[in-house]
Amino acid sequence: MFGLIGHSSSFLDARLKARDLGFDDLADGELDIWCSAPPQLLENFEVTSNTGKTIQGTYIDSCFVPEMLGRFKTATRKVQNAMELAQKRGINITALGGFTSIIFENFNLAKFQQIRSTLLQWERFTTGNTHTAWVICRQVEQNAPALGINLAKARVAVVGATGDIGSAVCRWLTRRSGVGELLLVARQQQRLNDLRKELGGGRVLSLEEALPEADVVVWVASLPQTLQIDSASLRNPCLMIDGGYPKNLDSKIASPNINILKGGIVEFARDIGWQVMEIAEMANPRRQLFACFAEAMLLEFEDWHTNFSWGRNNITLEAMEQIGAASIRHGFSALGLDAISPAPAAIAA
Amino acid sequence: MASSVLDPCITDELPDFSSEAYKLAYSRINAIVIEGEQEAHDNYISLGGLIPGQVEELAQLARMEMKHMKGFQACGKNLGVVPDMQFAKIFFAPLHDNFKQALSENKVVTCLVIQALMIEAFAIAAYHIYIPVADPFARKITEGVVKDEYTHLNYGQEWLKANFEASRDEIMQANRHNLPIIRQMLEQVADDAAELHMEKESLIEDFLIAYQEALMEIGFGPRDLARMSAAALVS
Repeated sequence: MFGLIGHSSSFLDARLKARDLGFDDLADGELDIWCSAPPQLLENFEVTSNTGKTIQGTYIDSCFVPEMLGRFKTATRKVQNAMELAQKRGINITALGGFTSIIFENFNLAKFQQIRSTLLQWERFTTGNTHTAWVICRQVEQNAPALGINLAKARVAVVGATGDIGSAVCRWLTRRSGVGELLLVARQQQRLNDLRKELGGGRVLSLEEALPEADVVVWVASLPQTLQIDSASLRNPCLMIDGGYPKNLDSKIASPNINILKGGIVEFARDIGWQVMEIAEMANPRRQLFACFAEAMLLEFEDWHTNFSWGRNNITLEAMEQIGAASIRHGFSALGLDAISPAPAAIAA
Repeated sequence: MASSVLDPCITDELPDFSSEAYKLAYSRINAIVIEGEQEAHDNYISLGGLIPGQVEELAQLARMEMKHMKGFQACGKNLGVVPDMQFAKIFFAPLHDNFKQALSENKVVTCLVIQALMIEAFAIAAYHIYIPVADPFARKITEGVVKDEYTHLNYGQEWLKANFEASRDEIMQANRHNLPIIRQMLEQVADDAAELHMEKESLIEDFLIAYQEALMEIGFGPRDLARMSAAALVS
């Protein structure tokens, strides 16, 4: 059995979802009440691979909402308690979705292995970042040419380049995709310099410097609330892969010339009998899901019961290739642009 | 990464066990624990009358509760604190009255829900949260106790599981009537618990985790659990 730990994208969404599920008391409750709510096992479902193998899955809502980010202890508890629940239910491999893995990493929760009477077994959990990184790279490789962008000559900016996913994406785009030039954007200068050294290339730039130069922008950082992007200064065409969390890039940029693709999202070959992805506002919630969740499915399909993605900056190209091959084998494909914007004449016709 | 809002800034610091404020809070919390263990003892003995085949097992559980009570009395003495037993008796009165009422009506299911599920889950949550912020003497005692309490929770859980279909409606009713009382009890001690560096928010969450886990083992589905536990969150 595999597990997915997720959460609502906002407190408002969480209340609406509670109402949908018939939990009126929770739907009416204030944030303080949600801060005391234990994780909930929301649904069990089956997934059948292209190979014919069927596996069982469980979705656990941690009852975390992003409004709790300022409350260190609360956020920590939500993640730990959801992980404990997954382990106690005997789930082999569970993906930490949304903010869950970010909280785990940034609060260094690996220090706290004992949760009440449960010793958390890290091999039962994965951040899913290897698959996410692979999917994002594939999205770049498949969609840039469709927009007329020649990757061999293109400048690709990676925003959040030094993070776990960002650094893996940089490695792949350099060594496998062979992009023209990488523009490295992140907050920590020392980490940027180290990454540049490791890659043997790439230019370190500020976000403001990088954006007007980039043919492709891969966002793997959460966007600051105050971020303003001047669409007119961007290249045309420009492919933007919104791989951060939450995926709100489309609220920052409104321009028909900019193609924004939700990054790190996969589409499965057939419908999955679940309701959870409706909560995540997927365009096709029966088939689309976060690649990190799909990684837990892949590990279960393949019987790789191990914390495949764990810690920071451990993602190797070999691991990406391995998970990528499994992804294709079992019926996942990387989400693409719906349709390349047709020329005005075509619309008129 | 949204690390600007994700910088850890709080560490668990031990309270000043010798301060007057701590001792005053401890006089009430310690009394609640002592009274809770005493009542648990009495309740398990009483339950022997309703479940005659298990008198010996229940007597065994009751004996453990007495041992716990003595351990916690020692914790109070160790800090030079006199437990406020009158406060504790009033604190437990509503729940105790409901237990006595159910006992007089031979409602074994309700009795088990109150004592073996709710009170034991409450104790497990409180002890787990107390252990990291307890004085060294009390920590040792409490670590021993918490292991036993799982056995007690397990007793009620197993009985109700074996009789699930016949008990289901009564469990839900007992839940509805008594969970808001548990919530009120938590509210009443929140300030004293905070003085001991135990947060209300995590007390409620940990209680619900233990309680929901028991309900799940008994046979309730995930949707039932969320609805049933909401009574503790919203009251």
